[in-house]
Amino acid sequence: MTRATANRAGALARRVAGHVARGLVMIWLVATISFVIIREIPGDPVLAMYESMLQKGMSPDQAERATAVLYGFLPKGSLWEQYTGYMGSLLHFDLGRSLSTPGVEVTSLIGSAASWTVLPVLAGTLLSFLLGVTMGVYAAVRRSGRLGDLLALSGSLLHGVPVYVIGLLLTAIFATLWPILPSGGPVDVEFTPGLNAGYLGSLVRHAVLPVVTYTLASYGGWILAMKSNVVTVLGDDFILAAELRGLRRGIVFRYLARNAILPLFTILALSIGMLFGGSIFIEEIFNYPGLGLLLVNSISSRDYALMGGTFLVITIGIVVANIVADLLYSVIDPRVRSGGTA
Amino acid sequence: MERHLTAPGVRIRGLTVVYNTPSGELPAVSGVDLTLAPGTITGVVGESGSGKSTLALSMLNAVQPPGRISAGSVEIDGLGDVVRLRGEELRRTRGRKVGYVFQAAQNSLNPLKTIGAQLLDLGRSHDVGDLRALVRDARELLGRMGMDGARVLDSRQHELSGGMRQRVGIMFALVLDARVVVLDEPTTALDMITQATILRIIREVHDERALTTLVITHDVGAVAEVADDLAVMYGGRVVEHGPVAEVLGAPEHPYTRGLIRAIPRLSGDLGLARALPGRPPTLGTLPAAGCVFRERCESSLDLCRTAEPVPAARAGRTVACHLPGPHAVPVKRKEYA
Repeated sequence: MTRATANRAGALARRVAGHVARGLVMIWLVATISFVIIREIPGDPVLAMYESMLQKGMSPDQAERATAVLYGFLPKGSLWEQYTGYMGSLLHFDLGRSLSTPGVEVTSLIGSAASWTVLPVLAGTLLSFLLGVTMGVYAAVRRSGRLGDLLALSGSLLHGVPVYVIGLLLTAIFATLWPILPSGGPVDVEFTPGLNAGYLGSLVRHAVLPVVTYTLASYGGWILAMKSNVVTVLGDDFILAAELRGLRRGIVFRYLARNAILPLFTILALSIGMLFGGSIFIEEIFNYPGLGLLLVNSISSRDYALMGGTFLVITIGIVVANIVADLLYSVIDPRVRSGGTA
Repeated sequence: MERHLTAPGVRIRGLTVVYNTPSGELPAVSGVDLTLAPGTITGVVGESGSGKSTLALSMLNAVQPPGRISAGSVEIDGLGDVVRLRGEELRRTRGRKVGYVFQAAQNSLNPLKTIGAQLLDLGRSHDVGDLRALVRDARELLGRMGMDGARVLDSRQHELSGGMRQRVGIMFALVLDARVVVLDEPTTALDMITQATILRIIREVHDERALTTLVITHDVGAVAEVADDLAVMYGGRVVEHGPVAEVLGAPEHPYTRGLIRAIPRLSGDLGLARALPGRPPTLGTLPAAGCVFRERCESSLDLCRTAEPVPAARAGRTVACHLPGPHAVPVKRKEYA
C-alpha cells in the first residue's frame, strides 16, 4: 500500500515536471514570436527610436543605451545578439520600459493593471460558474417544466448577447436612469487608498457593475454546458441503477452532480487563466484600468515593449492555467489518475 | 446470518404498461398474467421490443417516463402490490426487498466512486445499522463469485472487467438479502465462458438463498441452462409459459418454435438456423385486433385475424394460440431431444 502511494506520488511528480517543461517551452516560443514581430514589423520601431534619438542630438552610444533601456534589447548588432540580450533580460523579469508612459518599467505597469483586472474578473468568473452550474442542474432536472425552459432560455439569450451590450445596458439602467452606482472608474478620488471603510466601500461600489456584467456575460455558457452535461448523465445507466437499488435521492443527486460537473472544471481553470487578458470591452466601458485596457492602449500607441510584455503575461497565465486544469482533473477524476500509470 | 428459507411467490395480474408516443399511448405490455412460483427461476425470452425489459422494470414499479403502468398488479408475498407503492415506501422496497441486476450491468456503477463507497451508500440508504457486517457480506459474496472481495471493493468501475462488473451488479442485488431478484439480460455482451460462470453463480446463489428469480434474456440457450420455467413474450404478451424442458422440447406456440429454429449452433451447419420471417413488431406496428403474431405466423387461421387468443392451459403449460394442440411435431434438435 505504501509502495503504491509512493509510486503514485512519483508518477504525479513526473507529470508535474513534464507539464512545467512543456509550459516553459510554450512561454519561450511566445516570447520569441513577440520578439520577432517587434523586430521585423514594417517600419522597425526600434530602429526608428534609435534614429530619432540620434536626431535629438544624442551620441550613438547614448542613443543605443536609451533604446536598449526602452525595449530591453539593443537596436544594433546581429539579430542573434539582440535576441540573446532580450532573452537575458526576460530571465531577470525585465520587460523593458514603456514608450507611452516614458520611463516607467513595463513590469510595474502590468503589475498595477493586473490588480485591477484579476479581482473583478475572478469574482465574475466564480460567481457566474456557481450560478450557471446551479441553474443548469435545475434546468436539466426540470427540463419538461416551465421554469426549466425559462432558465435554459435565459442561458441562450445571455449567451447570445454581446458583453458590451450587457455592459452598456447596465450602465444605462443603474448609472443613468436610476443612478445608484458609479458609471465608471475604479474608485472615487476623494478617498485615500488604504484599509479604510470609505476607500474599500468605494472600491466595491465601483466593482459591482463590471463584476455583474462579467457574470451575466459568462453565465449563459455555464448554464447551457451544465444543463447538457446533466441531461447526458441522467441518461446514463448508473443513475437508473442507483435508483433501482433504492439509494436515497440525495445520494443519487450527488452521483449526478459530481459526474456532470467534471468536464466543466477544465473550462473553469482555463477561463481563470484567460482572466489575465482582462476583458477589453468591460474595462473600456467602465473605464477600469485593467490589463485589457492596457493592451488596447499599448496597441493604439504602438508601445511595443508594453505590448510584448502584456502578451507574455497573458501567455503565462494561460499556460499555468492549463497545467493546473490538467493536474486538477487528475485529482478529481479517478479514471485519469490511474490512466497515466495503469 | 439467520435466513428464513421460504421464498416469496410473485403474481403478476393483468399488467398493462403504456408508453406515451406522438401517436397516443401505446401498450408495450398488454394484460400480462404471470405467476412466479416460490423458489423458482423463471426465464423470459423474446425478441427486442417484446416488452420483456418493461416487464422487468414493472417488478420494481420502475417503468421510466414516458411509460407508465396503466393497469394490473404485481403482487409479491410479504410486500403486497408493488404497483401501488409510492415515494419512500417504494424506494425502501427497491434494493432491499427486490434486487435488480441491471441490463448491461457493466455501466451500472458510478465511475467516480469505489465499489466499497457505493456499497456504503447502499447501506446508508437502507439504514443498515452494522455497515461492517454489510462489507463483510459483500466481500463474502464476491469471494463466492470467484473474486478477491477486498480488492474489488477498493476498485472503481474502470478497473474491473465486464464479467467482474456483472458480478458486482449481482452482489449489489443480493447483499441486502432481497428475496426476489430480477436479472435483466445478465449475460449480454459477455464472452461464452464468463456467461457460463455467471449463469452457474445465479443458479447456486438462487438455490442457497431460497430466492424467487426472474431472468430476462433473448438468449434461449442461457435460459435453458438456468431456468426452471420459461415464459415466451411476443408483442407485449406472454404467448407460452411452462416448465423450461417442456416448452423448449415440445414448443406449442408457433412463435416459440420459430424462436428455437432461429438459434445458430456452435457445431453443425449454420444454414440450419432459420430466421423468423418478417420483423419484430414495434409499439406502432402491432395489429390492433386478433393475434399479434398472425402476420409472421406460418399457420395462421381466419380466426386469428379477428379474435385475440386467450392464454389457456394445454400440455402442462399455458399457451395463447388458436391452433388446436398438440398439433406440433417437436422440433428435431439434438440438444433438446
